[in-house]
Parts: sequence; structure tokens; C-alpha cells
Amino acid sequence: MRNMLLIAKREYFEQIRARAFLMTTIGLPALFVVILGIGYAANLGLGGKKHLVITADNPALANEIREQLTNDNDGKLSVDVLPSSDSSMNSTLMSELQNKSINGILSIKAQSGELPVASYTSLASGDFMTGARLRRALNNGLVGEQLKSAGVTAAEADSLLKGISIQTFQLKKDGSIVRTSAEASLWKGYVMALLLSMTTMIYGLNVARSVIQEKTSRIFEVMLATVKPTDMLAGKLIGLGAVGLTQILIWLIAAVALVVTPFAAAMLTGEYSLHFSWFEGVLFPLYFLLGYLLYSSLFAGLASTCETEQELQMYMPLAAAPTWLSFAMIVLIMNDSNSPWAVAASLFPPTAPIVMFLRMASETPPAWQFVVSIGLLVASIIATLWFSSRLYRVGILMYGKRASLPELLRWLRYS
Amino acid sequence: MPVVELAGVTKAYDTKIAVNNLSLTIEAGQMFGLLGPNGAGKTSSIRMMMGITIPDSGKVMLFNKPFERASLERVGYLPEERGLYKKMKVIDQLVFFGCLHGLSADDARKRATLWAERMEIADALQKKTEELSKGMQQKIQFISCLLHEPGLIVMDEPFSGLDPVNAVLVERTLLELKDEGNAVLFSTHRMDQVEKLCESICLINNGQAVLAGKVRDIKSRYERNHVIVEFDGSPAFLASEEVAEAKNFSGHAEIKLKPHGDAQKLLHAAASMATIYRFELLEPSLEEIFIQTVGGATNA
Repeated sequence: MRNMLLIAKREYFEQIRARAFLMTTIGLPALFVVILGIGYAANLGLGGKKHLVITADNPALANEIREQLTNDNDGKLSVDVLPSSDSSMNSTLMSELQNKSINGILSIKAQSGELPVASYTSLASGDFMTGARLRRALNNGLVGEQLKSAGVTAAEADSLLKGISIQTFQLKKDGSIVRTSAEASLWKGYVMALLLSMTTMIYGLNVARSVIQEKTSRIFEVMLATVKPTDMLAGKLIGLGAVGLTQILIWLIAAVALVVTPFAAAMLTGEYSLHFSWFEGVLFPLYFLLGYLLYSSLFAGLASTCETEQELQMYMPLAAAPTWLSFAMIVLIMNDSNSPWAVAASLFPPTAPIVMFLRMASETPPAWQFVVSIGLLVASIIATLWFSSRLYRVGILMYGKRASLPELLRWLRYS
Repeated sequence: MPVVELAGVTKAYDTKIAVNNLSLTIEAGQMFGLLGPNGAGKTSSIRMMMGITIPDSGKVMLFNKPFERASLERVGYLPEERGLYKKMKVIDQLVFFGCLHGLSADDARKRATLWAERMEIADALQKKTEELSKGMQQKIQFISCLLHEPGLIVMDEPFSGLDPVNAVLVERTLLELKDEGNAVLFSTHRMDQVEKLCESICLINNGQAVLAGKVRDIKSRYERNHVIVEFDGSPAFLASEEVAEAKNFSGHAEIKLKPHGDAQKLLHAAASMATIYRFELLEPSLEEIFIQTVGGATNA
């Protein structure tokens, strides 16, 4: 026990003093701020000003659409309206599009007794943001034009077309009602799950790297003459896990410090109001610890069978696959956080930490699911530790070449 | 009191038997040499003594008790594959290893400082290990094995990588430790050092002990079949039927006798042909015994 703690202490201080710790502690949240900032900026339409041309044989409809497009606050557009194009005008517009003096041509052709037919030509094939805005403007423009032709005043038509905004509230388990935003909750859950997956992976891989470095520096033989391999492995897992927890603690303190500032108070109210609970504050480090122990114990065993970090790369998909799977389920989880798939993924140990946080973003799952997910994680950590410590005991003294699968199976039998 | 006792120890990996029914005893205050060609089973034997691997059969006793991990606190081990934490400061590293052997941090620090002065590396204590030369790192590792004042010191090739000055320093320190009553086991290929330092040896080949006992007793078992002759006159006596091999360096001849060759007959022949200034019958060196024994076993 004493030696295990000595090893944990050595690992902890070596990592904490390293420049990489400082860089990830500051760098990771900074990266998220940048990513969120870019997303926010894109939403505001900071991508640059666009110039569209509408050709229509119904000028009233075309003007209505232009009004809809230019009144849209989401982005900056300048729109010109031209009468229905003939072939020479068409080729002029196409060459303007080609030399990028305009960004797109929306052509609307009336059909007797039916809805007009619209087509949009641009150089970009996948501008879905513009596509969505055009569709909205077309629909609203058509309805507006018909309302006006039916005698409704412009002001009445505008107010009808404005739409109604919905305020969302969440009824908490304690009976309180808080104002929420689905979008803000999604971002909160996403960022927390991303932080969780990144820290779990980073520290899990740190354990693997540390095992390989010790194997390369041949320090194991000295250590094993004093310390049991299981104590060495446990000391390493505890030391590096404590580094991860320290980092999370720093982030939590920073988050709390931010929340109490007037700036944050303003940010956390209104349409994008966010709510953090003590429950999340406890669960976040807990799920980090469980996820970290699961991955790091697996990687420690696998790393002891490798000679170099390059060889370790072969096992990377094992780490990445559950993370990809978890994030691939994000839409499914956001649509229905209690669907059987979402529940199953939040109980399945490799995906549990991330999926649970994604689910919590929309609704707190029932207590029994937390208990089962934590119980399954603990059971799988014990199983992985058993498997890894056996590989580790033999692998750390094997030099020269990477072990093949039959050799690994033999190692499991030996120890 | 025997400090190490291996009794019929066997260890096999897959189909290869690394150590086969090996028995040896090392007493307190004894310098013991474990010899053998590469792959003979020296490191495997040492690893079993250190509890790094477990024997398939046989018994390992340390300090007169069946092996238990607690006994390792009284053992200092320098493996052939040296290893230190490269990014750690030397003093922190020594304190860490001292603590692992049961010392308090303060005690470990004091002893590390004293040992660093004794091994002439006090200036390196505040440096990172990676900044030091290989020889310096070796001395640090040497100290790390001794901080906790072990009763048994096990050193696998302790002189490799050391310059002659530092090799003498390590050699002198090992002799002092032996004189203080510690048992010292070292494995090496340097026969001259074994001959000079060890009272007892065990020569292993293919996992088995092929020669064991006190160096003096072993050497006395071998014929004195080497002769050095310094002479003036005809070298024709070198063609005597007693001689197996001879090298003549103008008046200085090194002669190897045939098995059971008679040195007295050779002396008579030499004296009848030349003036003899020196005629010395030598016992074989440990190196020759090593080559003869291992070569014989390999050829058999």
C-alpha cells in the first residue's frame, strides 16, 4: 500500500509539473470557447455578404420574397429583382455568377392554377443555410403576396407572418419550474460530454504512454525487485487519475467563478439560460473517474505488450469507437432521451459516461439507470483490471517484439 | 548463515528450460560470481531470487527463510538492463527508490547525499538524470541499490559501461561492502574480475550448473598445464612430445602441455638445450576453465 502510494505520488507530481498539464488545463476550455464562438459567428451570418438575383414573371411576388430575405436578421443579403429572363439575359446572369459578381440566381416561374415553380442556381452545391432561408422566404413571400391580393393590409400580413416564439420551461424533479432553452441545453450537454470524452481519452492514453516509456527505459526490472506489479499498475492508475481529477477540479472552480460574475449572470438568463446543478458537479468527476479507470486499465495492459508508441496506435480504434458511437447518437438522444437505444447506450460501460451526459442535457434519467450504469462500469473495470494486470505482469519484462495474439493468450495463462 | 539458497530451482518458458534444477548457496560476507555464456540462465536465476518470476519447481530461500516479498527490503538489485526516470532530478530519484525500500524521505535524502560524495557524484544530485553521462547514471543506479543498507547485493554486470577509474571505485566499494558482512552476488563475463574478487562461483550453461564451489578448489581440480620458460639457447625443446602448443617470443616461451604431459621431462629437455632463467608451472585461468567447460558442454 505504501509503495503503491509512493508510485502514485511520483506519477502525480511528474505530470502536474509538466508543461502539457498547464497547456491542456487552459487549452482545452479555450478550444471549446473558440469552437462555440465560430458556431455563434456562423449563426450570425458573419460568413460574408451575399448578392442574389431573383428573376420572376410576377414582380409583386418577387418583391415580397426580396423583402422577406432582406428583413431576415440572420444574415446579410443584397437582393436584386429582375423580370423573367430571356435567353440572352440568362447567359449574362450565368457569366456574372461564374465571375462571382453575384452568388446565386433564384428564378420563379408562375403556372396557371398551380403554385409557382422555383429554381436556384449557385456555384456552391451544399449551401444548406441559404437553401433553408430561401425556402422560408419563398413560402412566406407567397403567402404574404396572396394575403395582400386578398385585401389584407401589409401590416396585418406582416404580423401574421412573423410567427410566434415559444418560451420553454422545464419541470424539475423537485417541483420547481425553470426556463430552459433546448439549444442551450444541447450545447451544455455536448460540451460536458466532449470534455469528459477528451479527458478520459487523454488520461487513459497517458497511462499507456507512461507504461511504454518505463518499458523503453527498462525501469521495470528495478521496480519489480521492490514492488509488486499490481501495486505498480494501481499506483500509476491512481497517480494519473488524480492528475485528471485535479484538472477537472480546476475547471469546476473556474466555472463556478464564472457563474457568479455579473457577466455570467446576464449570459445564463434569458433565452439561452443554462442551469448547472450540484448533481452534475458530482456526476461529472465520478463518470470521468469510472471512464478513465475503464480505459486506462485496458490501455495499461495493452501498452505492456507494445514496444513503441507507434505499435500502440494499432489499439486506438478501441478507444475511439465508443466515443464516435456516443456522439453519432446525439440526434437520437436529443429527440428522445428515454428511447431504448439511448438508455442502452447509457448503461453500456464503454459509452455510458458520454451518453449519460448527453441524456442529462435534455432530461435527468431515473435514479435506477444511474445506479445500473455505475454498477456495470465498476464491474467492467474489475474485469478489465484482472485481464490487464495479467498482461502487464508478463508484458513489461518482454522486450524485442510485439506479442502476437496466441502469445497474449499464453501470457494470460502464465500469470 | 546462508543469505541465498536455491534448491533444485527450475523455470521453463514454453518449450525452453531457462533454469534446470539449479542449486547454490551464498553466505554472508561472501562475494559470489554467477557465470555463464549468453542465454545460459543467469538473469532467469536472478529474477527468481528477486521474486520477479516464480520458479516452476524448487525452493528459493532468502536470509534463511522461504522467499517472501518483505525480504526484498534487505536486497539491493542492479539489473543488467539499467533503468532510471530520465526526467527526474537525481536526488528525487534516489529518495524515491530509498522510500520504496522502506526508508523515510529524510533518511533517504541524507544517505543519498553521503553516498553521492562517496561515489564522487555530489555535483550531479540536483541535475536531471537525462543530463548525465551513461557512466554517471550507472553510479546513480548503483547508489540506489545500496541506500537502504541491504544484506544482499545482487549486481548483474556491474562494471559494464564504466571507465577504468570508476570500475576500480565500484570494485573497491563492493569489497568494502563484503568486508562489512554483506553477501554480494554478481554476474559477469569479465573472468579477470571474478578471479580477483570472488571466493565462490557457479558457472551455468543451458540452465544447469556445470561448475560450482570455491574458486581455489575449482582451479586446483584442473591440471597445471601451462608453462612459462625464459631461456637463452636452442628453442628445440618446444618440439618435445610433452608440448601441445607453444609460442616463442625470442627467449620467452608460453607453452601448453598435452593432457597428462610431464613438466619435469620438459624441464630436463629444456635444460639440456638452453640456459633456463625461469621455468614456471601455472594453473589454468578461470577464463580457460570457463571456455574449456562451456566449450566441452557445447561440443558434447
